[in-house]
Amino acid sequence: MIRRVLIANRGEIARRVIRTCRAMNIKTVAVFSEADADTPHVREADEAVGLGRAPATESYLNISKVIDAARRTAADAVHPGYGFLSENPAFVEACEAAGLIFVGPPGSVLREMGSKTGTRAAVAKAGVPVVPGATPRSQESSAIGASIREVGLPVMLKASGGGGGKGMRIVRRQEEIDGAIESARGEARRSFGNDALYVERLIERARHVEVQIFADRQGNAVHLFERDCTLQRRHQKVIEEAPAPTLTDALRDRLTQAALKVARTVGYVNAGTVEFLVDESGNGEPDFYFLEMNTRLQVEHPITEAITGLDLVRAQLQVADGEPLPFRQADIGINGHAIECRVYAEDPERLLPQSGRLLRYREPAGDGIRVDSGVVQGQQITVHYDPLIAKLIVHAPTRTEAIDRLLDAIGRFTILGIRHNLSFLSALLRRAEVASNTTHTRFIEEHLGELVTRPDPALRQTAAAIAARLATSEPVPVEQDQSTAAFDPWQTLGPVRW
Amino acid sequence: MPTRLRLIEGEQEWVAEVTADDVRLSAVTEGGDRATPTPAHSYVVRPGGDDEVVAEDANGAQRATAVLASDIAWVSVGGQVFEVRVAPAGRAARSSTRDHDALAPPMSATVVRIAVTPGDRVHQGDLLVALEAMKMELPIRAPRDGIVTAVHCREGELVQPGTALVDMDHG
Repeated sequence: MIRRVLIANRGEIARRVIRTCRAMNIKTVAVFSEADADTPHVREADEAVGLGRAPATESYLNISKVIDAARRTAADAVHPGYGFLSENPAFVEACEAAGLIFVGPPGSVLREMGSKTGTRAAVAKAGVPVVPGATPRSQESSAIGASIREVGLPVMLKASGGGGGKGMRIVRRQEEIDGAIESARGEARRSFGNDALYVERLIERARHVEVQIFADRQGNAVHLFERDCTLQRRHQKVIEEAPAPTLTDALRDRLTQAALKVARTVGYVNAGTVEFLVDESGNGEPDFYFLEMNTRLQVEHPITEAITGLDLVRAQLQVADGEPLPFRQADIGINGHAIECRVYAEDPERLLPQSGRLLRYREPAGDGIRVDSGVVQGQQITVHYDPLIAKLIVHAPTRTEAIDRLLDAIGRFTILGIRHNLSFLSALLRRAEVASNTTHTRFIEEHLGELVTRPDPALRQTAAAIAARLATSEPVPVEQDQSTAAFDPWQTLGPVRW
Repeated sequence: MPTRLRLIEGEQEWVAEVTADDVRLSAVTEGGDRATPTPAHSYVVRPGGDDEVVAEDANGAQRATAVLASDIAWVSVGGQVFEVRVAPAGRAARSSTRDHDALAPPMSATVVRIAVTPGDRVHQGDLLVALEAMKMELPIRAPRDGIVTAVHCREGELVQPGTALVDMDHG
């Protein structure tokens, strides 16, 4: 019986897990680094344990510190969120060795799945099409080069231990091979501590569709339909929606059945996501390929919750506790349409993550609007972690209404003090190709110039006039959110501008 | 007595005269050695409740959300966000270091790769240095064609914003 859960994560996902634990009368333990001591997830948990210095390797990625925190607080389970240690088999084993319930697949399943290349092979054997590719005989650059020649340019280099878009490089030309191997390897090593690479044929202009699956220890497995995550940049998802707007019922049925076959092939337990590339251009090729399986809760899980009305974190905790799945396939349906956009602290023009203080932060609210965020006004966004500020999720009866609702919500989202991508998201959602579903995974890259908002000269001059008035008025301190009273007064730190 | 200020947003600069009643802005355009102000444009800016201000000119009123922190005013108006730098009048506020900015890290970051050595001829957009911060690789690219004259960083080094990583001669 799970009574106390340690959440081995930070930010919005830690808060998200706390919300469900409260609804289930489960106590929560937060962990935090020095950089996050004053953040909302620390205040909202029943208890909080400091892990150490800001770098993730000394805090959120440090297995022994996290296990020790769970022991000291007498937690009986650990929820890993996404990222950090969530897909690290050594962490799952350390939890099991310490007698802690890991809220995710058992270590034995992760061991069985092994690397991405091992899973690819198992899935192909089960009869699900995989992207054509090759696993190099060794990790020598010459062997990787040989695999690239075998597959044929253009290719995608990928990290065997990877996920989340890290350690991936597109190679189009012969002369790019060495540089791509080197940078993919470096990024893979820094992100996963494992720099092994493999090669896949580059499938362009496809759509990225993933199926949410859920399995329990009793042998039940269900799918919760799919999400379309085609709008990506640098292999990072930007906008996700459910259900996928381009699927025919027949293809939806084949994809969800393929996802369940993958889950059964690897003996999966708990929440997982099976990613596919869907290419309906015909030409005799398969119309979908298995990409990879993510063995955790996804960032974009709220859109599945919106259309199914289910709480995925609740089901994760129940299954981890040994209970059977709380829903059967026949109970799960699609209600309306949901879209999520990721609000990043990012310079939309130079595509660079930003750090700084949130001088004004006001989330939109209303019917069909959900904001999962890890921040409050006055908070510092630091360089140490992912630049995600918030996830803005809308739910409406139809896709068109969902897009309208999202555009309105973006317009009512106020973030000042740090550059962000709200205007970029708005420009993207207004594109005719988004309305007509003629986008593909490279759409953002190909249209980037048109998606960056050029400053309007008249608005800019109005802004200058307002600046002049503010600069000559009595200073008004930044209001702190009620719950952030512990913060330093804004005057003592001031914003940092890059 | 009006207060005189200089304001900069991106590549645009104004001089402002602020009185109790209004803000008069003159855009500064570059003409040879001397910056020439254009005729003044008058705005009335008043509080609009909450975080809001209302700025009114001859063309009408605009609602905005704005906050000032040290010398930067963040202003959200008409769906766009501006960062206006405020400086006392008289001091040359126009940034003359755009290349310097382009060749410096945008944030604290680790150098993961140096792609050039002094003497290299590079084209606009060529990778000079690859940085990593916030789990992302950040490329520093040549702002225009030129020759690399110096490299000021080492692989693995933690570098800070404001200091150029590479010097370039654009000749």
